[in-house]
Amino acid sequence: MTLPTFILKNALRNKRRALLSVSSVAVSLFLLVTLQVALRELTLPPPSAGAELRVAVRNKISLTNLLPVRQRGVIEKIPGVAAVSPFTWFGGRYRNEEGMSFAQFAMDADKLQSVFGEAKMNLDGYEKFAAARDACVLGKITADKYHLKVGDQMTLASTVYPGSLTFHIAGIYSGTPDDRNMLFRQDYLDESIGQPGYVGMWWLKVKSADDMAPVIKAINAAFANTSAEVRAESERNFQLGFISMLGNVKALIASISTVVVFTLVLVSASTMSMAVRERFRELAILKALGFRRRELFAFILAESFGLAAVGALLGIGGAYLLYTFGDIGKMTQGIFVSFEVTPRIMGIAGLVAVLLGIVSALAPSLSVARMSVVEGLKTLD
Amino acid sequence: MALPLTYNFRNVLVRWRATLATIIGIGLVVAVFVLVQSLAVGLEKSAGNTGDPRNIMIVRKGSTAESTSMVSLPQFQILHYWPQIARDAAGQPLISADLLCLISQPRIDGHGEANVSVRGLTAMGMVLRPQVKLLSGRWFTPGQREVAISRRLARRFAHFQVGDTFRTAATTLTVVGEFDGGNSAFDSEVWMDADEARSFFDRQQYSSLLVRAASLEAGRELIARIEADKRLPLLAGPEVKYYADQTATALPIKILGNFLATAMSIGAVFAAMNTMYASVGSRTREIGTLRVLGFRRRTILAGFIVEGALLAAIGGVLGCLLALPLHGVSTGTMSFNSFSETVFEFRITPWLAAKGIIFAVVVGVIGSLLPAIRAARLPVITALKSV
Repeated sequence: MTLPTFILKNALRNKRRALLSVSSVAVSLFLLVTLQVALRELTLPPPSAGAELRVAVRNKISLTNLLPVRQRGVIEKIPGVAAVSPFTWFGGRYRNEEGMSFAQFAMDADKLQSVFGEAKMNLDGYEKFAAARDACVLGKITADKYHLKVGDQMTLASTVYPGSLTFHIAGIYSGTPDDRNMLFRQDYLDESIGQPGYVGMWWLKVKSADDMAPVIKAINAAFANTSAEVRAESERNFQLGFISMLGNVKALIASISTVVVFTLVLVSASTMSMAVRERFRELAILKALGFRRRELFAFILAESFGLAAVGALLGIGGAYLLYTFGDIGKMTQGIFVSFEVTPRIMGIAGLVAVLLGIVSALAPSLSVARMSVVEGLKTLD
Repeated sequence: MALPLTYNFRNVLVRWRATLATIIGIGLVVAVFVLVQSLAVGLEKSAGNTGDPRNIMIVRKGSTAESTSMVSLPQFQILHYWPQIARDAAGQPLISADLLCLISQPRIDGHGEANVSVRGLTAMGMVLRPQVKLLSGRWFTPGQREVAISRRLARRFAHFQVGDTFRTAATTLTVVGEFDGGNSAFDSEVWMDADEARSFFDRQQYSSLLVRAASLEAGRELIARIEADKRLPLLAGPEVKYYADQTATALPIKILGNFLATAMSIGAVFAAMNTMYASVGSRTREIGTLRVLGFRRRTILAGFIVEGALLAAIGGVLGCLLALPLHGVSTGTMSFNSFSETVFEFRITPWLAAKGIIFAVVVGVIGSLLPAIRAARLPVITALKSV
């Protein structure tokens, strides 16, 4: 019998216990990966193509305060600005649903491609969007959810403005980080609510990455001390600002992860020492045969390491497969659109498994090292 | 013949190391379950605590949040002298028009900004919300750029202590007082004078109306009358119900809680099974002896299940105790209803604690079921022979 087969036989001699240990490690690591991915998705949203050239301008008071239309001319004249579009939250509810299942924004039809060029849509869609005042373009996820196609009609009741609006779908886009939103035309909204002269936000594209900082500075300065002060920031900073509003959620998930790891170590260490205590007598015999403490430690370590590694493979691999090939939008009822298991997160979970293997082997090894051969041979349990 | 429970109880103590690990493991699972659910309970409690049963809240039809609701001055005037509205001692109708605005303010920990609800209210608005009590400082003076802030909210933002000033809408506001919203939605608000707020936020409209109905009957009449009046695109309903419906934020927390509970309980079941199998394995001879003494298979089965359940119940109690220090600690997140910072507490109700312990016992019973069956099925002779 070679040494590896000896270790393998030992690990598997109580198959039920090996199975239970591996499963509990797998479940815990699966949970750890899930929490870490959730935390990452909440705190670091995926950057969208073209984000490095986009600037978001909102009212300085808060996102919910509107901006006067007259600001547009001023922004367009700032050097480095390529295109400007209004971007107004409509807060519409579709088909008498309780909550809002997707966001809708009003913007300029001819600016869709120049400001949000990353969306993949037929050129035909852009033309149709520019041609009809009641046209809209819809994200593929939402279109699939409600079985909507180009040419269909949809009516949304706004929670922000009085009344509801009916739209015709001009195109269906995909390829953005969140293919759920619906975009329609600002002039259609203005017409229906009586030209109020206000928009929700301005979104603009700058000509090059070097223009970003000067443009942001110029916009903030242009409206300082006016009745509608603004906060201009890069798309990335705007997203991060949005996330900071989530408050203590981050701390909550981080502390749950810690508890999960702790529980995992505790339970596995206990199982491992149970497995070792059961064969105290054998280990005493090995000792009597002349095996050294170091070698006995290696046996125990290899076994606990092996169990942790198999558990890690199942747990981390399972999470990777589930979240890479499963439909996360459906699983979380739309709270998450993407749920990417990154190599870094898998690495962290793997590291936890390694530590687990080592820590679990420590306590039993210590007691084996301390025991005298005679004492060990006498053990009945 | 029932197996003496002391036998199982003392056994739990004999293998104390493995037992302790299992108990702590289950305890931690229960603690996480109870804590996450207590957040959802806290959110719902805060929404359900808000309002006075005699009050009627009026918002624009179709709006889902006060900050996007609009009520015009003429609409306010139409309603003002309706007979269904109660009057105070001086004969003034108990009706208030409020403005609700969201302002973005830096957090106290320096981690970015968050939206905060600013409520502009009239003198009657304070009379209509008796659950809000001043804690320190004084109330704002009408006509002045002064605010009073909920103490729980003030602790979370950089410039919200009494005496501080902060800027919004090109205006400097001074914090003059701190109030306690009595664990209601008002704990997430900054209060100031309505007309002052309308002037510097540049709003012609109010956001909502709050009235005290003269009686329950009058309240129903008022709601029906607003519904029937074509001039008023408004929606009236009991204030208590308006806030109680604002619980969408609790849903993702509940989903998270249930997911964690499910995943962690699977792990805990495996751990409990391991402990119980080991416990059965090391007691094979004892079990044989018990059988020879005349104890029946089902008695032994029941005994081991009770042992597992007992172990888990201790873990459950431990979990609740671990969670308990966080009871009443306030925390906050963005509400999906109001789009602003909502302050609420961890609330561990007796029912929630009971649910945690029941949950633990279920884990214990499932975990000990298979080992118990194994114990009960041991053939007597083999069992006695085993070392």
